[in-house]
Amino acid sequence: MVSVTSIFQNIVSGLNTSALLMVAALGLVIIFGLMGVINMAHGELMMVGAYVTYYTTYVLHIPFLFALIFAFLVTGLIGSLIEMLIIKSLYSKPTETLLATFAVSLVLERVVYLIFGADTKNVPMPIPGNITIAGITIPNYNVFAIAFGILILLLTVFIFQKTSFGKKMRATTQNRSMAECLGIKTSRVDTWTFAYGSGLAGIAGALIAPTISVSTGMGSPYLTESFMTVVVGGVQSVIGTAFGAGIVGEARTIIGGLSSAVTAKILVFLIIIVLIRIKPQGLFAKERR
Amino acid sequence: MEKTLKKIPINRWIDMLAFVFILIFPLLGFKQFRVDFMCQVVAYIIFAISLDLLWGYTGLMSLGHAVLFGMGGYMIGICFQIQDGAPAFMTREGINEVPSFFLPLKNETVAFIVGLLLPTAFAVFLGFFIFKSKVSGVFFTIITLALAQIAKDFVANQQAYTNGFNGLQGILRYPVSGEPLSKIAYYYVVAAVAILVYVFCIFLTRSRFGKVAVSIRENESRVKFLGYNPAKFKIVIFAISGFLAGLSGLMYAPAMSSITIEEISVTASTFVLICIAVGGRGNLTGAIVGTLLIQWAKVLLSEQCANYWQLILGVILLLIIFFMPQGIIGKIINVQYSIKTRKSKEKILESEENISSVSLNNKQGDEEYGNSFTGG
Repeated sequence: MVSVTSIFQNIVSGLNTSALLMVAALGLVIIFGLMGVINMAHGELMMVGAYVTYYTTYVLHIPFLFALIFAFLVTGLIGSLIEMLIIKSLYSKPTETLLATFAVSLVLERVVYLIFGADTKNVPMPIPGNITIAGITIPNYNVFAIAFGILILLLTVFIFQKTSFGKKMRATTQNRSMAECLGIKTSRVDTWTFAYGSGLAGIAGALIAPTISVSTGMGSPYLTESFMTVVVGGVQSVIGTAFGAGIVGEARTIIGGLSSAVTAKILVFLIIIVLIRIKPQGLFAKERR
Repeated sequence: MEKTLKKIPINRWIDMLAFVFILIFPLLGFKQFRVDFMCQVVAYIIFAISLDLLWGYTGLMSLGHAVLFGMGGYMIGICFQIQDGAPAFMTREGINEVPSFFLPLKNETVAFIVGLLLPTAFAVFLGFFIFKSKVSGVFFTIITLALAQIAKDFVANQQAYTNGFNGLQGILRYPVSGEPLSKIAYYYVVAAVAILVYVFCIFLTRSRFGKVAVSIRENESRVKFLGYNPAKFKIVIFAISGFLAGLSGLMYAPAMSSITIEEISVTASTFVLICIAVGGRGNLTGAIVGTLLIQWAKVLLSEQCANYWQLILGVILLLIIFFMPQGIIGKIINVQYSIKTRKSKEKILESEENISSVSLNNKQGDEEYGNSFTGG
């Protein structure tokens, strides 16, 4: 039975999916936009973020908010290590970089498996309870996740636009050799950007962790979803990513509410394939000069 | 005769060696399950070759090639499942009659042809949308990755038609006059198909078509500038690759006697990529040798330390990327090439020495002449 309320219910829970997707895809877009690197380890970095959350909240009993910060720091650190040890020496070799990040994802997955074991982990819900507005029930945690996602988006825009690091990053994205001429240490910018992008993956993983059972294989579906978002939103703007996440997330939950989750996935996939034919640069691409 | 033999690149000798090894493998007295595994590996070599055409030669990295492989495997799998009416996994879901769209698959020949044509058609469909638009190769990788993810979800979801996570069992080795082929006969059938595919690919890559494919990889805008339409070439090569992937699935499933959801997942697609990356891409030999090495390493190491296998694989891949970015065979070809150029350099230097000694003689002659001139 499809009623208006249930459609609205789906739209609201779609917001939650979208917010999580946005945080994950932001990290990918920042890294891809700056360095042209397809980070196949992004899904596994999310998984690491989720495990960090599990460890801090469930084992160490530290509040969830701190777990988010820890997840950001740990994955950011791993990201900077990946960049310095691997990506840097493969500069401007896209195929090798893709393979290398994939190798890293294999290693990360297995290392976490060896540390935490095969069984899935559950992260306790940090904010239990629901609120009901006009017949639509929203878990409190989802409200928090959406708000936090928007906060991350605003923070990223702020860092990009206002801070000196963000300006250096944009300068490097636009014209790497010119930025170097002006005294910007682009290799350091690369490291920090990769660390920030990876950190966002960690936060996304941490935000997802309480709503699912955490396992070592959880990363790859999210990697695919994030990539789809990137295709829709284009790789050039942060706002495009936000809208892309909104479209993919909403389409998934609305179509999923009307039929099944798999049908929704297939339909979204087909839409994206057609979209790539019509608007190859993504829906929110800036005009190319 | 000796000259033409010398002209054959070193990797073609390795190919022949590898195929001879494959052909005599059942005679070496290994246990039967090792020979069975080798049969699967040989089927997998066809798969690796099909991806090498796409990735190594044309530069299109597919992360969802196993889906095309699985289409072949699942078609033949369904064929043997519906021989005696609706199988258990269908009746469990309340389907007591074989659905009408499955009925043609009951005939093995039809199932085989569908298993070849379905992946081909799918590749054309996908290629039409991706290659006709002007997006970079990265998007092809992303879309194929999404394809692999969704295909797995789809098969898992369609429990009533695909038996979901359990996969399809009881796939027979193509019965000829009622009896399925014996294991050893099927081994040689698969090996023969692999050799045929290999020879076909050699001809394809040496043809004008293959050369255009390579130049698309190297510089697509220049190919366009020369008046070719890269999109058409990419679609055709993707279709050929899909056809061969379907063929390998059709060979692999009976060798394995089952096909499961794991064989079409992202993991399977990336596994074959690793095989090619380790062996070396763009020369066919890498695909063959890489598959042999990695598949055997997988089965032998998994017996020893199942938990660490994936870690080892990741580290191997990283080491290859850093120290042999061309893969093992690529490295060998490079070494042979540098030896060759050094030899020819030495030859040139030698002849230069002769020339300089000749010119020295001339100089002396000149001097003599000059002397005689001044003297005169």
